[in-house]
Amino acid sequence: MTVQTLAGLEGVRALTCPEPEREIRGVYIGDLLSWVMGRAEADNVWITIMTNINIVAVASLADTSCILLAEGVTPEQSVLDTAEAKGVNILQSAKPIYETAMQLREFV
Amino acid sequence: MKELSLNILDIAQNSIKAGAAHIGILLDETPDTLELSITDDGCGMTADVVRGVTDPFFTTRTTRSVGMGIPLLKLAAEQTGGSFSIESVSERDDPVSHGTAVRALFYKNHLDFTPLGDVVSTVCTLIQGAPDVDWHFCHRFGARTAELDTAEMRAILGDVPLDSFEVLEWIRQSLLEEYAGFDTQ
Repeated sequence: MTVQTLAGLEGVRALTCPEPEREIRGVYIGDLLSWVMGRAEADNVWITIMTNINIVAVASLADTSCILLAEGVTPEQSVLDTAEAKGVNILQSAKPIYETAMQLREFV
Repeated sequence: MKELSLNILDIAQNSIKAGAAHIGILLDETPDTLELSITDDGCGMTADVVRGVTDPFFTTRTTRSVGMGIPLLKLAAEQTGGSFSIESVSERDDPVSHGTAVRALFYKNHLDFTPLGDVVSTVCTLIQGAPDVDWHFCHRFGARTAELDTAEMRAILGDVPLDSFEVLEWIRQSLLEEYAGFDTQ
């Protein structure tokens, strides 16, 4: 599944999507950024509720295919601008983390 | 990082890399707050670099000279409602008095406060990794103090290196003894 397809799922929308054709392989869930940095794998969807600028750096370092913000949390515009500039996709899901992950189950 | 002591390890390693001869790690604790200061007399940074180090992208280039340590410490402090600051004087601007001071204030009662963790192991790891640095560690909590000054130790130990097993073990035990008093207040 590509990031663009993920963005089309019910309750999901793209906040910034500079690389829509990126393939998704696997899911990682976590909010402790230093932990995620060492454990998320390349091409994972990373589900989190953290919205500060550091998430863009962590996604970039871990080379995840996109950040999927659960619970409908929204980052500041400056975070989205940086993500756009750095080629980091950020999507948003209105649902809580568990429901968001379950929604991805059949695709990854 | 799951423990603040890991943040301390990370920041102090920046001081070692900066070629510091003296590194101070100060923890000033009250029932509500924890203030961490890490100061060094290393090569320091120019104003432009200081402005950049809290930006995670400044530090995540492939040829980065510092890690994500500073952005993550800043986040850890701010997510408790606390604050973060960094000040530095570069060797180029002042060949005599240069170095860096990092300060982070935490509100301990905030739910997102990260526990301090095993700071004794952190101090021992740092001394073992850079035994020639003069380390000053001081943790104050009310009337209690846990403190270590390797310059004083060196004066007593003479030629015995600080990274010898016996000395490191003595450091560990003496800090643990000082910390034993912290629990009773």
